[in-house]
Amino acid sequence: MLVHIDGPWSPLLGRLALSEIPYNNPILVGTFVFAALLAVILVGLVTYLGLWRTIWRDWLTSVDHKKIGIMYILIGLVMLFRGFMDAVMMRAQQAMADGPHSAGYMDSPHGYLTPYHFDQIYTAHGTIMILFAATPLLVGIMNILVPLQIGARDMAYPYLNAVSLWLTAAGAALVMASLFIGDFAHAGWFGIVPVMELPYSPGVGVDYWMWAFQLSSIGTTLGGINLLATIVKMRAPGMTWGRLPIFTWASLSANLISLSTFPVLSVALALLALDRYLGTHFYTAGLGGNLMLYNDLFWIWGHPEVYFVILPAFGMISEIIPTFSEKPLFGYLGMVLASLGIAGVSWGVWLHHFFTMAASPAVNAFFSITTMAVGIPTGVKVFNWAFTMFRGRLRFELPMMWASAALFYLLVGGLTGMMNAFTTNDYMVHNSVFVVAHFHMMLLLIVYAIFGGVNYWFPKVFGFRLEQRFGKIFFWLFTAGTAVVFIPMFTLGFMGMTRRLAYVAFPQWRPLLDIEVVGIVIYLLSAVFLVAQLYVSFRDRAQNRAGLDAWETSRSLEWMTHSPVPFYNFAVTPEVHARDERAWRVEHGVDTVRPERYEDIHMPRNTAIPLWLGALSFGLAFGLVWRMWWLTEVCGLAIFALIVIRSFDRDTDYTIPAADIERMERAIRDVPSGRPVVAGVRGAVPAFRQGV
Amino acid sequence: MLDPRGVISVTQDHYLALDVLIMLLIIVPTGIFIVWAMRHYRRDGGRGRHDARWDHSYALEALVWGIPILTVGVLSYYSVKAIYAVNPYHPTIMARATHAKGPLDIDVISTDWQWVFIYPQQGIATVNRLVIPKGVPVHFRLTSATVVNDFYIPQLVGMIDVMPAMRVRQTLLASRTGTYEGYSANFSGAGFSWMNFETQAVSRSAFRAWVARVQGAPTHLSYTAFDQVAQPTINIHGRVAYFSQVQPGLFRHVVAQTAAGKTYPTPMAMTENMTRYLKAQARRDAHNRD
Amino acid sequence: MSVTTSSTLDAKGSPMWSSGHGHDVISTKTLGFWLYMLSDAMMFTALFAAYAVLGHAFNAAGGPWVRAVAHAGVAFQETYWLFGSVLAYGLAMMALKKGNRGGVLLGIAAALVIALGFLAVDGREVLDLFRMGALPERSGFLSAFFTLVFYHGLHVVVGIAWMAVMLVQVASVGLTEKVVYRLLNLRLFWHFQAVMWVFMFTFLYLRGAIV
Repeated sequence: MLVHIDGPWSPLLGRLALSEIPYNNPILVGTFVFAALLAVILVGLVTYLGLWRTIWRDWLTSVDHKKIGIMYILIGLVMLFRGFMDAVMMRAQQAMADGPHSAGYMDSPHGYLTPYHFDQIYTAHGTIMILFAATPLLVGIMNILVPLQIGARDMAYPYLNAVSLWLTAAGAALVMASLFIGDFAHAGWFGIVPVMELPYSPGVGVDYWMWAFQLSSIGTTLGGINLLATIVKMRAPGMTWGRLPIFTWASLSANLISLSTFPVLSVALALLALDRYLGTHFYTAGLGGNLMLYNDLFWIWGHPEVYFVILPAFGMISEIIPTFSEKPLFGYLGMVLASLGIAGVSWGVWLHHFFTMAASPAVNAFFSITTMAVGIPTGVKVFNWAFTMFRGRLRFELPMMWASAALFYLLVGGLTGMMNAFTTNDYMVHNSVFVVAHFHMMLLLIVYAIFGGVNYWFPKVFGFRLEQRFGKIFFWLFTAGTAVVFIPMFTLGFMGMTRRLAYVAFPQWRPLLDIEVVGIVIYLLSAVFLVAQLYVSFRDRAQNRAGLDAWETSRSLEWMTHSPVPFYNFAVTPEVHARDERAWRVEHGVDTVRPERYEDIHMPRNTAIPLWLGALSFGLAFGLVWRMWWLTEVCGLAIFALIVIRSFDRDTDYTIPAADIERMERAIRDVPSGRPVVAGVRGAVPAFRQGV
Repeated sequence: MLDPRGVISVTQDHYLALDVLIMLLIIVPTGIFIVWAMRHYRRDGGRGRHDARWDHSYALEALVWGIPILTVGVLSYYSVKAIYAVNPYHPTIMARATHAKGPLDIDVISTDWQWVFIYPQQGIATVNRLVIPKGVPVHFRLTSATVVNDFYIPQLVGMIDVMPAMRVRQTLLASRTGTYEGYSANFSGAGFSWMNFETQAVSRSAFRAWVARVQGAPTHLSYTAFDQVAQPTINIHGRVAYFSQVQPGLFRHVVAQTAAGKTYPTPMAMTENMTRYLKAQARRDAHNRD
Repeated sequence: MSVTTSSTLDAKGSPMWSSGHGHDVISTKTLGFWLYMLSDAMMFTALFAAYAVLGHAFNAAGGPWVRAVAHAGVAFQETYWLFGSVLAYGLAMMALKKGNRGGVLLGIAAALVIALGFLAVDGREVLDLFRMGALPERSGFLSAFFTLVFYHGLHVVVGIAWMAVMLVQVASVGLTEKVVYRLLNLRLFWHFQAVMWVFMFTFLYLRGAIV
């Protein structure tokens, strides 16, 4: 039943041979040396500082939702950097390989990358940015914030949460492994069939792509289940649905999407795996296969995924703008309905990813209208944010700068989105760089929301605020880079330039492509200031210590516990009285009240099993990629055994006695700091709404 | 694309402008309002009155929902109208234009990574070069021998997927003579970036003369000759080929054999070393010419 | 204004780290399992959709089609095995309500054995089809058909493994809270695959008798 593949295969190493290691490619060797040096420095540093024990005990084996969230964000940042470097390489190639007379270097007819190498780079860029940068960053932020916002001690299933993390990490590791061992897929981040079938992709690239995607998909589905159950089951007393913070509502909507669509992705990928390993005919052109089946299944996930990443971003913007407008969010109910509406509509728009497949006009008309309908809830959100600022008192601190700039991206993205939804326009620009520029606007909106959110909640998680001067330079340079890269890209789209060109046939496009390179250099420069911002913030952390409420006008529940948040989150579970609980308490003067008595707290115990499960999943997938069947079987059996063994473990949680809580709370309060732990409120009394 | 030279592309551009205009009507005032609010209500130096309790207004919320719903409604109406106007199977816009001459049929087959154009009425075929008469509706039947491509001539007609084992249709009418660039818009493998074909719209008499010239070409496109053409080829030198005769039923033959599982596999060598593959390709081409 | 709330002990179980107002372990775990089953239902839905897309005569590519591979008679027999197993598991749950550990063990053991019977019939049927030349790689139709059959079969295998583990846990640990929520989740899972079987029977096998 197994498909026979031409080429060498050995029982021990499968298809893996020395020739699969790209030791003769200077770019990859350079990258490897860089990565290896970094690894050596990191390992050396950790050993020198004697941190191994801490890392193992407090991080790798942790089930604490905040630490898991931070690790998610770290994965996201590392992958963001990788994806960004891919973008730099693509821009350089297109600027060099332009016109029939452009020079070629390193085995390439034009530019410095062979088409096959270039194709892998843009595939990696898309896959990484969507699945291993945006998704982990947002899942990480949801992980940290949702339990805090609803007054829970942890997620509903802390152990499962760690499993999700390590599955995602295994997927990311697989993508990284493909850089140095073998190669990556070349068929685009969403995969194009039948290009991904064996006759057209005989190498291991597609297998790497497929299993990395699959691991991340399973991880995110489990994470979605966890967040949904947490929001439904773990809310503090008084935290009714009508009082739920808006970010939590956005997370709820997003995870409804992830729960209902990631399984479809898993199926789409599994059927591809069957085609490639067992020779079935799901997506083949011949023998009864149907390649449109893949497009349908994939995009039934793929488009909702876009909203899965954008909804939490909207949620963050909705939290940041009221705080810095010093008034409640305008149209809370409308915002909630709009979030759920986006989640609902997301299901009915997938076909717009292949408007050009010559479907009947009735079909295209239906999906054109549903796609435009997404504009309704999105438009509502823009207006509501605008009216939140209206009659406000705006402070343009760093989080607010990112959040309010995101609004303009939404306007541009909305305009161009409506142009794409208009089917006949789509015929003209469907596979052009215009579409690429459009969805980069939307994804940059997410990036802006993430940077805003990170600046906003950083003091809550780490206890000190991020420095603002370098941060602002970073903001402006980043914005400039965006303009310089994407305005020419929109223009090129109108001139008919298509996506994924390893070689650009028309020299008249050269000037615009060169401008894009300038833009990417500005991006590179901005990253320097990001690093500077982080460094200065860390250096001056003692001066920038934050109290409970780092921004002094924050509104929701997470600002009522210490910064940084202790591992048990709240010393006593808070009782919720209003929609903006912190604002309500400030108004009623109860934000400093200390509990009359502490109680025992029940907490989950750390465990290394999720880490092992992640490592074994990596082994399983790696074995599958190279067809080392023994490795796959050993890892598969070990995973099964670990799950069973874990089910026999009776010692999975423990209790912190009330006395210990009291002692820890006193220790936190007694830390000398430049600022009072509880800050007052600037200006007028903040308003709140009781909610239902 | 913004310099359309065909009936279909002119219509598409017309609707594009309409769409952008309607969207700008909404987005520009919104943008201005946001910028104004950001200035007027800023804490340091803003003149706006702070109202910390204001978070709800039925009138405004009706507006907030009403404007997007109205816009989407209007745009949907035009979108549907436009879809029918340029529907590749029965473009109403083409039906309205009257034409003395009957349509020209062209069968298009995409391979890895070249374009084969068959003119069944004239009994000729070309590779990587499309020549059409001005002012005559051209009806395409399209399929692929291998993977999905998009048939796209920005100045004449929008994209349409060219899929293996399936047949789609496309229609265009060039209203002015000229040379237009056509290419594949959907990634199809290593040779995708070189998958261009020059499209020449010529006068009717020039077209007749061109057909006569091609009919004098020495090579024939039989089923086996097609197999040669369809071997994975990166058309890096922009080669064009002409065939004076085409074995009848070639288009249907290709659709049927693809449906029966025929593939033209990408050689493993291409996935490892491009230079080596290009050399092999050059050797093969030389061998075929001999 | 009092800001404290105690973490109350719910009648049904110990407090979770949520504390708050009486979330108990069992209802939280069960909700999660329901959500998981929703995602699994989506996977079945996607596979059924694939089967619908690839179910036409031309997707058989000249090979065996529905009538040749979907035998309603055998499937009818399989239905009895499967539902018998579900019934036995249901009886185990009745015993659980009464706290009857022996009854629980007996019911699960019976459910496990009957499920093995289903696998035997199912496996023989599949092998017969393979011998006849109806292999998944023959055509798009057969790929979709066998994938559904195997995906459902995988659920039965997982269910059997889970029952085996639960037999050991009930016997060794007894009916503790953790064991009970797992038994309840397994009940959901076992019913779920039976419900999926109803769809399989209708869309795969009955179709074979009609088309």
